[in-house]
Amino acid sequence: MLTNSNELFKFSRLIIVWLSIIFISVWAACYLFGFLIPHIILSMGSGDVFNFAAQLFQYLTPVIAILVFIPINAMFMVLVERRGLALFTVRMGPNRVGPDGLLQTAADAVKLLFKEDIIPTGADGLLFTLAPIIFFAPSIFGSIPLLAAITGNSDWFAITNLPTGIFFMVAASSVPVVGIVMGGWASNNKYSLVGGLRSAAQAISYEIPLVLSLLTICYLSQSLNVIEISDRQTGGFLNWNIFGGGALSGLDKYLAAVINGSENAGEILKMYYPQNSILTVIAVIALIFATVTAFFMYLTAACAEVNRIPFDLPEAESELVSGYNTEYSGIKFAIFFLAEFTNLFIVASIASVMFLGAGSSPIPQFVVDYVLTHVPAVSGLLNQLTALLSPLMNQFYILNPATFWSVFWMVIKTYSLVLFAVLVRGTLPRFKIDQLMDFSWKRLIPISLLVFFIAILSKGVFFTNV
Amino acid sequence: MATELTTTNLKTDEMIINMGPQHPATHGVLRLILKLDGEIVRHVEPVIGHLHRAQEWQGQNRTLFQYQALIDRVDYLSGMFTSLAFAHACEQIDGCEVPPRAQYLRALVCEMNRISSHLLWLGTFLIDLGALFGFPFYPFREREKLLDLFEEIAGQRMMFNYIRIGGVIRDPKPTWFEKVRKFTQEFPDRIDEYEAIVTQNPIVLKRTKDVGILDKQVAFDYGVSGPSLRGSGVNYDLRKVRPYGIYPDLNFDVPLGQNKGDTWDRYMCRILEMRQSNELIKQCLDKMPEGEILGKKQIAGLRIKAGEGFSAIESPRGVLGCYVISNGSDKAYRIKWRNPSFCNLAVLPSLLIGRPISDIMAIFGSIDVILPDVDR
Amino acid sequence: MTEKPAEKTEVKLEIGRFGKFLQDNGIKSKRQSDSNNVETIVIDAKDLEPAMRLLKTSSETTLNFLLCVSGVDYADKIDSVYHLWSYEHNDALVIKVELPKNNMTNTQTPCMSSISNFWPAANWHERETYDLVGIRYLKHPYLRRILNPWDWEGHPLRRDYKQLIDALNDKNPHSFR
Repeated sequence: MLTNSNELFKFSRLIIVWLSIIFISVWAACYLFGFLIPHIILSMGSGDVFNFAAQLFQYLTPVIAILVFIPINAMFMVLVERRGLALFTVRMGPNRVGPDGLLQTAADAVKLLFKEDIIPTGADGLLFTLAPIIFFAPSIFGSIPLLAAITGNSDWFAITNLPTGIFFMVAASSVPVVGIVMGGWASNNKYSLVGGLRSAAQAISYEIPLVLSLLTICYLSQSLNVIEISDRQTGGFLNWNIFGGGALSGLDKYLAAVINGSENAGEILKMYYPQNSILTVIAVIALIFATVTAFFMYLTAACAEVNRIPFDLPEAESELVSGYNTEYSGIKFAIFFLAEFTNLFIVASIASVMFLGAGSSPIPQFVVDYVLTHVPAVSGLLNQLTALLSPLMNQFYILNPATFWSVFWMVIKTYSLVLFAVLVRGTLPRFKIDQLMDFSWKRLIPISLLVFFIAILSKGVFFTNV
Repeated sequence: MATELTTTNLKTDEMIINMGPQHPATHGVLRLILKLDGEIVRHVEPVIGHLHRAQEWQGQNRTLFQYQALIDRVDYLSGMFTSLAFAHACEQIDGCEVPPRAQYLRALVCEMNRISSHLLWLGTFLIDLGALFGFPFYPFREREKLLDLFEEIAGQRMMFNYIRIGGVIRDPKPTWFEKVRKFTQEFPDRIDEYEAIVTQNPIVLKRTKDVGILDKQVAFDYGVSGPSLRGSGVNYDLRKVRPYGIYPDLNFDVPLGQNKGDTWDRYMCRILEMRQSNELIKQCLDKMPEGEILGKKQIAGLRIKAGEGFSAIESPRGVLGCYVISNGSDKAYRIKWRNPSFCNLAVLPSLLIGRPISDIMAIFGSIDVILPDVDR
Repeated sequence: MTEKPAEKTEVKLEIGRFGKFLQDNGIKSKRQSDSNNVETIVIDAKDLEPAMRLLKTSSETTLNFLLCVSGVDYADKIDSVYHLWSYEHNDALVIKVELPKNNMTNTQTPCMSSISNFWPAANWHERETYDLVGIRYLKHPYLRRILNPWDWEGHPLRRDYKQLIDALNDKNPHSFR
């Protein structure tokens, strides 16, 4: 059945290679700024000045990490998108530049950098130049709180742990539309203008269901802090917010107790679900329904927010040529392109943080414990590995296992969502603008309000003790 | 709905947009001068002729033999049909006999060409709907197979020059027929595949249902023909109404639009037509007689008798007519093409007025216009 | 371009079915030799519009499918040829309108009335015929060149047409380059 298994193999190989490149380069930058340079500074002498300098470098680490991460990641995502679409549409995809097409997007980026930077006649030069910057800037500062969640609150990124992280990210993600409208208006092109205006209407409409679906999760987690939200979801997929926002964690504990042969399993169940009646079951089901719906609504609204098919009306190619970026060329176009893919990555990682348990492993903790205690071969292997790697981790501070696994799971979850977006792009046609508006105002917003209401009701009224 | 988009008490300025000739979705070089009120089209003026290659002028300044090689370019997606129309017109004037095997081969390659043309239409139509990178490529996979088959008999993949005055130029090998039969066996499954992903896709339905309704009377007035007309429920297929070649011997249905002549009906018509063409290919293969394939010698000084001939055939886009006036020399005195795309495109403005921009491409794609066919 | 058109055999032909119908409605027509068993008639330019209206709407004929309008340039006349079919049944008719040339140059255009006001199908065909053969259809709503550029000179499908200057020549002020 799978006729292009060879292509599939090449595709997976490409993903693994690129992810390693991304990981190594970002890690190297972080290591340099978070550990090596401060360490060298502190070894040169002591005193306030040295401490300050060392701290300054440590505080710069998140910014450096993002600045290194974004271009490489965007290159990778463009390649994944092109190769993935080729995979879905019985084509080859770019496979000429570098081994197996690995360097295609790098070559494209270089080409774009050397292209002439045209400001069309009659365009507003200042706004035309500002537009890509305004479009791109939020994706840098908006993704800062994510770093804390991605790395499992690592020391290097402690500064990014904002108490209102999710609020900050949502606020930042609504800024790029200003850049789109600006670019569309300043281009002195009617297609761009229509594209920019469409984008404004679309962003305003889809921000609401997006925020409402995130609000449901924030309410269930009782926090706006991404670290707290992700910490609540550790210990297996039953604790993830998508499954009732913690409504199943009692079940998780109960199962753990049963597997461990503990006496007080029933008591645990009673502690988590005190009313222990049909109402509790209904409340749990309602919560799960609410969060799953919220998750899919978030995905839909996020697709619209980052102008992906089927909501890519601002740059609808068959209608508006290329929408707001029709007139852009060279580096400015590259920045638009970069920001678009970065935004896609950001919304995907927000989805994984808020709904899919952030950096926590999907395997339930009791399963891990059971395997470790009952299968000696595995635990022996793990012990040996830890012994082997511990000098690296403890003495040179090269790799923190907690951070590594957090990043590992986060990357898997986020890129799965990205691949899902690619699959959607390879499948669906585009909406019309009026249908798009109808879909948001008449469907998504009422449903998201309803979901929020259900969540409040089942959590607050029937399910008080969690 | 379109009317809900505008508010009556808000007055906005009308904006004039030139859509094309360089535009990703105008299938070549059509230029539409649109007058927009917000996103609603208030006035359309199609400007054509950017691809004018003076086919008729060349027809009266080249010998018939030379011109036979050029006519595939009139409509590059269905070259067999343009050759066939020209050959029919010349045979009418000349009265030369076409051997039965050539008749069957003509019908066979024409139906194959109809499928390949409809497949390309399906891909581009979906691109017009915004499925930019998705399933458009699946139709192209089957089209590739057909083009390979054409290459084997005609030497070319698109500009065949296969159907000549008096017959066809090359007799295919027996293995070729086997390949065609293999294709016909697996093709219905492929159409099922497309239908599975397109036909019940809610976004496709939303984009196409009740969009661009072509009224029967409007279609008559503008001389619309082909699947675009049959989508409106008019049973008018030249293969049935004025049968030519061996079509009286073949057994097939003419798919009609079931709804009210909207974009969806035109889409469905073409999909069903591909299935019918597949059946026709099978019948042609089964009934293929042995014998001669060419009733007239193909020499550089090819000439036909003096007289007038008008032939029309059912091309994938509609009634393709060729009006030839000959004075007995080796050049035609006048050649006039009646191109289905040219006539179907004329109806576009009446379909577009009052629709939003997004519908332009859905409607334009659904009437299946090929710009070389419009501009010749 | 000195070829002669086909010699017409001057045989008195019987009046055909549509000719009879037109005659009953007071429109004179002359039968020409058929091509492929399709009745061919020649009528006066001034009679064209009423004849077309009749043929299109009358329930006796319902020739409501205008296939094409073609212009044919002969040595002494220019023909405007109308191919009429029917969507309902299997009838066909070819109508020719002969416009004498009277030594006109290749930029002058003979005039006749347009039918595109009541038959939209003729609109683009008449524009095309105007563009390529140079028949001026009076009362046409938008008689502009359609296939050639708007500033093209002459009518390319006239037999005496000569392209004065190469349109793609760089020295030409109207050059496209």
